[in-house]
Amino acid sequence: MRLLTSPLRRMLLGLLNLYEGEGGSPAKCCVLNPHRLLRKQNFSAKMTATELVSYWRGVFEANGIPEAQESSEYIVSYVLGAKTFHSLGAGSLSTPLTLEQQQQIQKLSTKRLQRMPVQYILGEWDFWELTLKMRPPVFIPRPETEDLVSLVLEEEIQRNGSPAVNVGHQCPTVVSHPVILEIGCGSGAIALSLLSKLPTSRVIAVDKEEAAVNLTRENAQRLQLQDRIRILRYNVSSGSWEQLLPWGPVDTIVSNPPYVFHGDMTHLAEEILSYEDLGALDGGNDGMTVIKKILALAPCILKDHGSVFLEVDPRHPEMVENWLQSHPDLSLSVSAIHKDFFGKPRFLHIQKHKAGDCINKNSFA
Amino acid sequence: MRLLARTLLAGQGLRAAPPPARSCRGAAAGACLGWGRAAQPPRRPLSSWPGLETLFAAPGLRRFLEEQARGRAGPELGARIQRLWAKEQELRDTQELARGGENEDLQKLAEEEIVSCQEEITELKRQIVLHLIPSEETDKSDLVMEVTAGVGGQEAMLFTAEIFDTYQQYAAYKNWRFEILEYFPSEIGGLRHAAASIAGLEAYKHMKFEGGVHRVQRVPKTEKQGRVHTSTMTIAILPQPMEINLIINPKDLQIETKRASGAGGQHVNTTDSAVRIVHIPTGVVSECQQERSQIRNKEKAMQMLRAKLYSIKLEEETRKRYNARKIQIGTKGRSEKIRTYNFPQNRVTDHRINRTVHHIESFMLGEELLDEMITSLMECADYETLMEIISENVKTNLT
Repeated sequence: MRLLTSPLRRMLLGLLNLYEGEGGSPAKCCVLNPHRLLRKQNFSAKMTATELVSYWRGVFEANGIPEAQESSEYIVSYVLGAKTFHSLGAGSLSTPLTLEQQQQIQKLSTKRLQRMPVQYILGEWDFWELTLKMRPPVFIPRPETEDLVSLVLEEEIQRNGSPAVNVGHQCPTVVSHPVILEIGCGSGAIALSLLSKLPTSRVIAVDKEEAAVNLTRENAQRLQLQDRIRILRYNVSSGSWEQLLPWGPVDTIVSNPPYVFHGDMTHLAEEILSYEDLGALDGGNDGMTVIKKILALAPCILKDHGSVFLEVDPRHPEMVENWLQSHPDLSLSVSAIHKDFFGKPRFLHIQKHKAGDCINKNSFA
Repeated sequence: MRLLARTLLAGQGLRAAPPPARSCRGAAAGACLGWGRAAQPPRRPLSSWPGLETLFAAPGLRRFLEEQARGRAGPELGARIQRLWAKEQELRDTQELARGGENEDLQKLAEEEIVSCQEEITELKRQIVLHLIPSEETDKSDLVMEVTAGVGGQEAMLFTAEIFDTYQQYAAYKNWRFEILEYFPSEIGGLRHAAASIAGLEAYKHMKFEGGVHRVQRVPKTEKQGRVHTSTMTIAILPQPMEINLIINPKDLQIETKRASGAGGQHVNTTDSAVRIVHIPTGVVSECQQERSQIRNKEKAMQMLRAKLYSIKLEEETRKRYNARKIQIGTKGRSEKIRTYNFPQNRVTDHRINRTVHHIESFMLGEELLDEMITSLMECADYETLMEIISENVKTNLT
């Protein structure tokens, strides 16, 4: 046993637990030997979506895979062409799946047994109304970040005094042409949501990783939003900020920067540690390495009274306020702290409050 | 939840209901949509919309219109009524002329004149009727439709799934947007409960007549001995309030997600995006797990919650305002048996207007046949409203 790699060992142990007492269960060797599994499923060719979900949930549970039920539902629904199990029609739940569909479910479920996040397994996930392509190791957007987008949208509505936002299915009224910079765009979730909700906006999306830049570009094209977006490979720690001004100073900077305290990194789930780009999460000892870089950069590229919206760790709002107070030359101050759906202080709205030259010009030139 | 419980109770009540085909023929015209109320004194036989001519022939109406024209009504309506009288006089004169005329050319001219006069009169009458019928606050609303299987186990659930599909197709037929908010299927392809938001031109105005208990009579797929079963399902139609029609204090809401409540944010990557919202003062709950995006689930759950709360509010207002009035469509109607789908006889009967349509399958495609049924109901309701207004007017005049 000690020789086995850890995922494989888990699988074995899990299966022994699951089928304990069921002598000679064919399923015992299923997961270990995919060919046997196929034969078994072929044998009981009448498996329905509901039955397959409960079968794979059992396998996942036995192997200690988190969110066993949800994972199983998402995979089966995806293969049947639906987004969630609840959006499958009554008819498709009771219709037996084809052999091909069962094979595909098995292939995807095997990845889940290796703790791959469901979003990577399906190769797509939803953020607001958008379906975005997901590909390892590019950071998977979290639900909290949907609220970050809402905050930016609310600010835009307020600034215009009328809904320039494409809310629901109403027709947008053209008012302003905001320029927004997103730092650390990952899959492009924030940038592309803003573009689709603000039909007159333009966005510059940057990331230091090529994989992220490529994925954002792909997503922009798939959603036909490529005309109003500039996607650049750019590192806040070393890049020259002039690159960020193709359209002049920006109205808003938005970012979900890496903010996990370095000390917390080891406690993250295996899905994250084994598959996601940890550079998108690790914020250094105080979780603020990149946050500070962004704030130092902000006065140079923001218009007067421009805004910075950041998603942060709940410990950060106070730390950031203190840090800004000790750096008055940045002309920035926290104008609001917003809570996430758990009531945790999660989002910072920071504003550039006076006109002035960029003090840090030299250090970034 | 209260609504749901009530509709379920209503569904169960049907088990003891008398056999179908309760004859509505000969029933009171004014009571054609007066469900939920004790029998009305019979007024006039009615099998469908009586038509403009009958309506305008009613003695009460003429007096009513005269009063309206004398200044009670707005200038627009007054002008139309005046014009109607003038046109009717013109028609009578022309008819006179045509009868007495010997000149063939003149005769022909008079006949043409008569036709155009009649056309204009019909159009004026139509406009006057439209003006007289007060529009409800909710008429232009979008809506949430809830379907729930009633009596009859799996068969009721199968029927519920079919009906749900029917309205999804009807929405497509009417070019409305149809978005599923909740969907709880049964094991064998039926539907226990579902909710959908329906949005589009006059969606509520049409759909409000569909609320109530729908009954199916057929040999279920699950029945081995070929016996006909009677099962039911219930539809509730809840108007979607505008922002200003219903203000909810965010502090009254408890929003629950299944996302691990640990560190959150970047620290966790979970996929369960279900959202549940509790309105604390009323205990009304709504939840959504249709979407992979949590914020979309939240939006949909909120939409449903608003519709539920609005419906409760309207129901209370209606009870206060129209205690004695018959027309309580979309509110009281939801507990009444409104329609029977009889498969052996291949017919659909609406019990409120006693209208029967053959070809169940075509009806359930959610196209012309269903649309015609709904149009009849709308016309009948308009007629009933008008008769109501006139009779109230007569009463006021007497006292």
